[in-house]
Amino acid sequence: MSTALTRPPLVRSSDRIIAGVCSGLAAHLGWPVKNVRIGMALATLAGGAGLAFYGWLWIMVPTADESARRNARRPASPIAPAVSLVPPVRIDPAFGAAPPAGAPPWGMSDAGAAAPAAAYAPGAGPANSYGTAAVPPGPSAGGYGPPLAGHAGRPPWFRFRSMRYGKEILLGAGLLLVAGILIAQLLGVDVPLGTLIPAAAVLGGAAIAWMQLDETRRAGLLDKTKADQAGGWARLAAGLALVVAGVLVMVSGSGSWEQTWLALLASVAVLGGVVLVLLPWALKFWRDLEAERAGRVRETERAEIAAHLHDSVLQTLALIQRRAGNEHDVVRLARAQERELRGWLFQDPGRDVGQLSERIKATAAEVEDFLGNAVEVVSVGDTAMTEAHEALVQASREAMLNASRHGGGSVSVYLEVSDGRAEVYVKDRGPGFELNDVPEDRLGVRESIIGRMKRHGGTASITSTPDGTEVRLGLPALQTDNAEGKS
Amino acid sequence: MNNVQGTGPVRPAQPVRVVIVDDHAIFRSGLKADLDANIQVVGEAATVEQAIAVIAHERPEVVLLDVHLPGGLGGGGREVIAGSATLLGSTKFLALSVSDAAEDVVAVIRAGARGYVTKTISGAEITDAVFRVAGGDAVFSPRLAGFVLDAFGTAPADIADDELDRLSARELEVMRLIARGYSYKEVAKELFISIKTVETHVSAVLRKLQLSSRHELTKWAAERRLL
Repeated sequence: MSTALTRPPLVRSSDRIIAGVCSGLAAHLGWPVKNVRIGMALATLAGGAGLAFYGWLWIMVPTADESARRNARRPASPIAPAVSLVPPVRIDPAFGAAPPAGAPPWGMSDAGAAAPAAAYAPGAGPANSYGTAAVPPGPSAGGYGPPLAGHAGRPPWFRFRSMRYGKEILLGAGLLLVAGILIAQLLGVDVPLGTLIPAAAVLGGAAIAWMQLDETRRAGLLDKTKADQAGGWARLAAGLALVVAGVLVMVSGSGSWEQTWLALLASVAVLGGVVLVLLPWALKFWRDLEAERAGRVRETERAEIAAHLHDSVLQTLALIQRRAGNEHDVVRLARAQERELRGWLFQDPGRDVGQLSERIKATAAEVEDFLGNAVEVVSVGDTAMTEAHEALVQASREAMLNASRHGGGSVSVYLEVSDGRAEVYVKDRGPGFELNDVPEDRLGVRESIIGRMKRHGGTASITSTPDGTEVRLGLPALQTDNAEGKS
Repeated sequence: MNNVQGTGPVRPAQPVRVVIVDDHAIFRSGLKADLDANIQVVGEAATVEQAIAVIAHERPEVVLLDVHLPGGLGGGGREVIAGSATLLGSTKFLALSVSDAAEDVVAVIRAGARGYVTKTISGAEITDAVFRVAGGDAVFSPRLAGFVLDAFGTAPADIADDELDRLSARELEVMRLIARGYSYKEVAKELFISIKTVETHVSAVLRKLQLSSRHELTKWAAERRLL
């Protein structure tokens, strides 16, 4: 078995004579292409079996390109459901070996919305099982090839296989049974076809309907994907028709078409009546289900809000009570909490945090937390961050720190971006200072503000009066080289 | 928020009669305690209906109006102003809010409020703002000035433009300085004009903000989910 460890997937090869079936099969089985082709031709001579097999593979086996695309698409499907509040359900047969609905149903964390989306793999239907058959088993599967390979079974093989290819095996068994019956008839054994065919129809129909129920249940009756529902209804109808027809033929016993038709008509009428009677209950059930789901969504939202308030506001209030004596701490805590709550309530979640205004606001919050004085930011216009803007943010930070430290009161920060030019004004109401009085070794003002802005092609100026100090920083638009500032 | 400090408006000889509208009793009593002795609180209200009734009855000079109020049709402070429309000539509204959201600020200004301050403002500042509003001036916080600049754009008006749709170069300068945290007095000093002229400019901007049906203002507001 060890030779089969890295068996290539069964795909239609591009090296082909007709449809690439033989070379694909050869690559998959590890046999010479010539042998496969000769075998196929010989089988064709045997009553066209080879031809049928070839056609079957042609239809069912994807080309290498298709297979690659499907595999690339399968993990972590980007198509998240519009409302990602349904429990994460795995309905893709590709993951059939995994237990369904493994993740905790309601994500309470911030990542809650994302997690179900990632676990959710839409677009699964019976058609996908063929794609699955073509997927090579991963290393963990121990390298057992698909059933086509026909290797001898061992217990783990069987268990694994039966879970993964249950439908294929059932289909194969059914076909083998039919073949056996046909052969028996050829050999002259009297097979009660009149009983067997309706019974098979009933069994098949029931199987189709039950498969449908199983998948619906796995989807928790919550999956609203239209395509899936349409497929489900079609399957249900087909199953119902098969069962009804089978039962009728079996019960009526006669092969007469006339009688069968009459019975069919009668039974359809009866079914219609039953549906008519049961419909109100079904509708009520459906509505209850919908209401319950809506309630659960609301409950989730409420729980999320409660969790957030608990983590933020209640904790801060507790802290404030413990520090009631220290006015400075209380103000600082209240400001920080206000900022956090404001951000949570009013922030547009789609907002880009890499924008200049967001960075300036974050910097102001940092300074506010650090020194305790309020830093009010007003911003007009916005731009994406560049390296020069980063320097502007750093210079602004230094200016805010100075203003908060020496101004001793609230600090006003104004950011304006128009036509690519960014300007930042930082104003305090302290006693002011004379720039020339600042000692040479004080790096804060000279290096971190003025020097930094100059190095990045910007301007910086400081106006200080007894009423307060204002630092003005300017950064010209990127390409245009006019560095004339307001300074 | 110190922009309304400084020498401020002339204090009136008689106390200013004020009604406080806010649904939080704690905030009302705190505000009452903070206000200057020259301000006489003649009434309080906690809902839209109460507010309209008290204002109609007392006919105060200034109403300190919370933006978010229970009752009525859910319009909050805006609805109170609309319900007191006949008094708008004699009664001035000064909006108070905990929120800095653009839609709150602009909505209440466009409804007819003469100014907007946040609730974290100090007692001295709010007293000053009340006097200013009572004297017929507008009260612009730095944030409101920022909203105005954002909404009207920072380019000065062309001749061809509708007068209401753009700010003049001088008005822009005044708005910028207020946004930078300058008091009216400091603005006057910086631009070498009188405080009275600054007040005139600010009132003109307020009028434009209230009356402009400008395309960009609509778009701007829509982007901030105002309309």
